[in-house]
Amino acid sequence: MALLTVSKVEKSFNQNKVLKKIDFQISKGEVIVIIGPSGSGKTTFISSLNFLNKADSGKMTFKDKQINLASPKKDDVLWVRRHIAMVFQNYNLFKNKTAVENITEGLIYGRGLSKEAAFKKAVQELKKVGLEEKKDYYPSQLSGGQKQRIGIARATALQPDIILFDEPTSALDPELVGTVVRDMDKLAQQGQTMIIVTHLMSFARKVATKVLFFDDGQILESGSPDQIFEHPQNKRTQAFLSAIAEDR
Amino acid sequence: MSFSKIIISLLSGLPNTLTLLVFSFIFSSLIGILVAWLSLQKDKVSRGIARVYTGLVRGTPPLLMLLLTYYGLPKLLSFIGIDSNQWAKIFFGIFGLSVGWGGYLAEAFRSAYLSVDKGQILAAYSVGMTDQAAFKEITLPQTFSIAIPNIENLLIGLLKATSLVYVIGLADMYQNATSLSNVNQGVFQLQIFVILAFIYWVIALGIEWFFRDYRRRYVHLNG
Ligand SMILES: Nc1ncnc2c1ncn2[C@@H]1O[C@H](COP(=O)(O)OP(=O)(O)O)[C@@H](O)[C@H]1O
Ligand SMILES: [Mg+2]
Repeated sequence: MALLTVSKVEKSFNQNKVLKKIDFQISKGEVIVIIGPSGSGKTTFISSLNFLNKADSGKMTFKDKQINLASPKKDDVLWVRRHIAMVFQNYNLFKNKTAVENITEGLIYGRGLSKEAAFKKAVQELKKVGLEEKKDYYPSQLSGGQKQRIGIARATALQPDIILFDEPTSALDPELVGTVVRDMDKLAQQGQTMIIVTHLMSFARKVATKVLFFDDGQILESGSPDQIFEHPQNKRTQAFLSAIAEDR
Repeated sequence: MSFSKIIISLLSGLPNTLTLLVFSFIFSSLIGILVAWLSLQKDKVSRGIARVYTGLVRGTPPLLMLLLTYYGLPKLLSFIGIDSNQWAKIFFGIFGLSVGWGGYLAEAFRSAYLSVDKGQILAAYSVGMTDQAAFKEITLPQTFSIAIPNIENLLIGLLKATSLVYVIGLADMYQNATSLSNVNQGVFQLQIFVILAFIYWVIALGIEWFFRDYRRRYVHLNG
């Protein structure tokens, strides 16, 4: 049984059709990796799943609840966001909050925890990623890798059903990528359901239960990591994979 | 004439200078917040009101603003049956400066609000915060922090502008300095004005000191 299903998701910006009737589903424990060229609609798609981006049409079924993507009820939007967390490409840590406060905000205002309970939980989360001693630092005082790991802690603290990752390592210096990947890897081992937009092939191969190739607002091809990376059927998938292979 | 006599004479205008500064700052901030809020509304009427207000006010020299208030406001008030003849001059001073600086502060708040990183709000929504919580916790504090350097400059500008109230016959420090110099046929003119400049400088230092914490918070937003 799928945890989350969306069907016929469409989105245009002016005349530009960015998402073309996308059907997608994910079950509990799955790790779905999305790859595809820049501008193909990956960010628009995953952020339509938590309504940071409002689709023009499409239906969602999440935990057996049906929601219209184009005209969701306010309460449904909040409910979905409280169960589907997100990690951003450029971290988006709250700049006016310390590391620990970045985590407590969602616990207090999203999950309704008391300040004390939220603080306790946030410190635990920081401990898990080994950044407890940075709890009173502001984002401006942290490295990119540290920021992103706090971004991940902010998401996991909410104990969400699904975590969306939008190119979580793209803004990082190469030597910091590993630390963030390790945190994500650990989550995958723990059975966390995740949707990850990334171009890190070896990581995708290791954790993905399924890989989707996005192109021009559509899912052109999908399959196991082995199918997509070793035996891509679509010409565009092949071209994309050889292009990013040349990059490294 | 002794130093201390000059200082005592100038400082007798200090209460008026500080009263003008503090109250004009409070009221102009309130006007600024209101006008900034209007300018950010969706409906055209609110935005139009805000645009006309800031446009007019920014194009009016502060000195003229004080004169217009002093001579114009009583006329306006008498239309609605209020007699302002007995009102203290300092009221008109505060009014004129508040209306003028309200326009500048509105712009400071507005541009600060608009320059809050959109990703910050997305992140707030992504953890399940409501519009109200996101505004109170993220947007509002960041708006203030971004506006702080501008607000500090505007407050220093306001301090200097308080010296213009002589045009409506108010005895502030600057007015005291001018009359003291006149009484002495300009003999101690330079000393008097150097001391006056020094006092303004000390107040400006006080303002900078007052803002030091807020400035530190602003630093974090640039990381
Ligand atoms: N807010 C927006 N306004 C207008 N066009 C947008 C907006 N967001 C995304 N787009 C356009 O939608 C397309 C897909 O963007 P995006 O989803 O960010 O792609 P990806 O994440 O795959 O790089 C691009 O052509 C982009 O220019
Ligand atoms: Mg993207």
